[in-house]
Amino acid sequence: MPSESSFVERILKSLTRAQTDLAMTAVQFINVSKQYRLGVTRVSLPSMITDRIKRLRSPDIEHAAQAQRLWALQDVSFDLPPGECLALIGPNGAGKTTILRLLSNISKPSKGTVVTRGRMSALLELGAGFHPDLTGRENIYLNAAILGLRKQYVNRRFDEIVDFSGLEEFIDTPIKRYSSGMVVRLGFSVAACIQPDILLVDEVLAVGDAAFQQQCLSRIDQLVKSGTGIIFVSHNLYMVQAICTRALYLQHGRVQALGGVREAIDIYERDVHIQRALNAKHATQKETAGDGEVAITAVTVSGTSPTAEGGVLLSDAPATITVHYNSAIETGPVNASIFIKRSDGLTCCMIRTSSNGHRVFLRRGTGVLSVYLDRLQLITGSYEVHAYFLNESDSLPLTPTAARSEWFVVKGSTLGSPDNSGVYEPLAKWISE
Amino acid sequence: MIDDLKRLIDSRELLWAWTGRNIKARYQQSVLGWLWAILQPAAQVVIFTVIFTLFVPVNTGKTPYILFSYAALAPWAFLSSAIVDMSTSVVGNMSLVTKIYFPREVLPVSAMLARLMDLGVATGLLIVIMVYVKVPPYPLGWLFLPLVLITQILLVLGIGLASAAASVFYRDVQSVLSLVVQLWFYASPIIYPVSAVPERFRAPYFLNPMAGILEAYRDVLLYGRLPGTTFGVASAISVCVFLVGYWFFKRTEFVFADIV
Repeated sequence: MPSESSFVERILKSLTRAQTDLAMTAVQFINVSKQYRLGVTRVSLPSMITDRIKRLRSPDIEHAAQAQRLWALQDVSFDLPPGECLALIGPNGAGKTTILRLLSNISKPSKGTVVTRGRMSALLELGAGFHPDLTGRENIYLNAAILGLRKQYVNRRFDEIVDFSGLEEFIDTPIKRYSSGMVVRLGFSVAACIQPDILLVDEVLAVGDAAFQQQCLSRIDQLVKSGTGIIFVSHNLYMVQAICTRALYLQHGRVQALGGVREAIDIYERDVHIQRALNAKHATQKETAGDGEVAITAVTVSGTSPTAEGGVLLSDAPATITVHYNSAIETGPVNASIFIKRSDGLTCCMIRTSSNGHRVFLRRGTGVLSVYLDRLQLITGSYEVHAYFLNESDSLPLTPTAARSEWFVVKGSTLGSPDNSGVYEPLAKWISE
Repeated sequence: MIDDLKRLIDSRELLWAWTGRNIKARYQQSVLGWLWAILQPAAQVVIFTVIFTLFVPVNTGKTPYILFSYAALAPWAFLSSAIVDMSTSVVGNMSLVTKIYFPREVLPVSAMLARLMDLGVATGLLIVIMVYVKVPPYPLGWLFLPLVLITQILLVLGIGLASAAASVFYRDVQSVLSLVVQLWFYASPIIYPVSAVPERFRAPYFLNPMAGILEAYRDVLLYGRLPGTTFGVASAISVCVFLVGYWFFKRTEFVFADIV
């Protein structure tokens, strides 16, 4: 059967072609740099005249408007294969938004090349093209047109878009009467119902309620599975970990780390902690100079396990939190409170002398108070400890602000799979009957 | 530039959608709605007709003054409103320009198209006046109407695109434009006939492309004659203005998001 075999051949050929297409990258950055001008870039005629006069009077003073230049990106290279989710992490001003702008062809790199393949969709600011006076329906078509979609295409998917947004009732209402959450829902629905080859997501999921966020995340997951390459920008490192497989850590426009999401986040968090520790040192120095009668001079966390190395504590090993204080008075009974905080600010637990039935009296001069934890029970991540002293009725803080420990890193007991999620690791025993 | 035009044609759906948005948004909460497209030039015509027939009589030949001035005022209203709208079209949508890529000329071009609809509405009134005054129809001349209109559109596009781009860099452009449009009004044969311009000033006078274009509108609609050489000059200038304006716009569009 020659015709059948040729048919099979054709299918095989198209399959291999599809595979090579897939093997191609969706996005490629090759040694990209981008420079912006800062400061006064344009001079108005009146200011030029007054400047001239000023300079005539005092020629040694520099009045010229100096156009400062800033490298927003320097020599950045990475690529994104289809079906992969790459996170861009780093502090504000690191160049994340600049990368998105270069990707979406809004501005051009000063040096290097940016290559993108396929249809691009951006979730940068949801509903950026919405007009408040137009109805939801009109805005769907308008926004889709801005994203480069044909009207017929939108017609076919209109119901799906409205369904996803859950705004059937209000679809013919001008969106100026929508709540801000509704506008965001509508915006995401349009952008997500396209099947883009590349999707840029910039911190948009921070808005919207939890249910909506969940809906967005599952949609993103679905897109990744269908081969969309996603670039995800967020400051929520836990969300980044949940969605992305790789991460690019930027600082001052330079690549600090590019690789697995866990490793990149570790490096980022370590840098953040070094920075915070420096800031905190300045802050505490100022604070302890304050008027409080009781001052906490240091908070330390130490492990007892011999395997703890370089400040890394083990989750399943005991740990001791020690509070060093300096008191000007002999106090009555006080409450000591200790909070363990995760790097994103979540309070993991609160340990209080009052709730443990322990009475503390501070003596005059320096003293030490410690609490021993049988098991740390925290998952892999970085944490810090905040400590306070309050009076017995909790109505008056004895220390002006919380004293903070240095950041410490905890390694979860499940060493094989470090990307454990949740908050703590309970001491668990499985029983099957 | 041909590639740019192709890309613009590819995004025609966005062009229509954005034009529709401009029109709808403009008349959304107004009682008179699209009637404003007539009221604006009509009010001016009434004033001018009173002044230039009763107070300071202007000789417009056999054509009644009201028709004479309205035939030029309607296209002029299109030009001035379109240029002003176009110049603010990019600056006014900066939040969009810095977020999403699409051919940037969609913004000014659709601002122009929205005003073109106003011209269509205003033309309705012109036809009513023409029928009322019983102007003899001149079908051969009407064949030239699209050509005259296209020439005017090219002129508007050239100036509008250039000022839309320039506005991003210098906000003075808005003020300069309103001043220029005001002066330009008196430098064009709108409220007076070309015959009132002294013979020796005629050559420089027709360097103003609007002079040739407005005369061509009147020739074809009112006087029953074909556009003259002055229209040829106006066309050549308009094409040049368009090319320069479009080139300037495309050359600067990638800097828009960097400037803000």
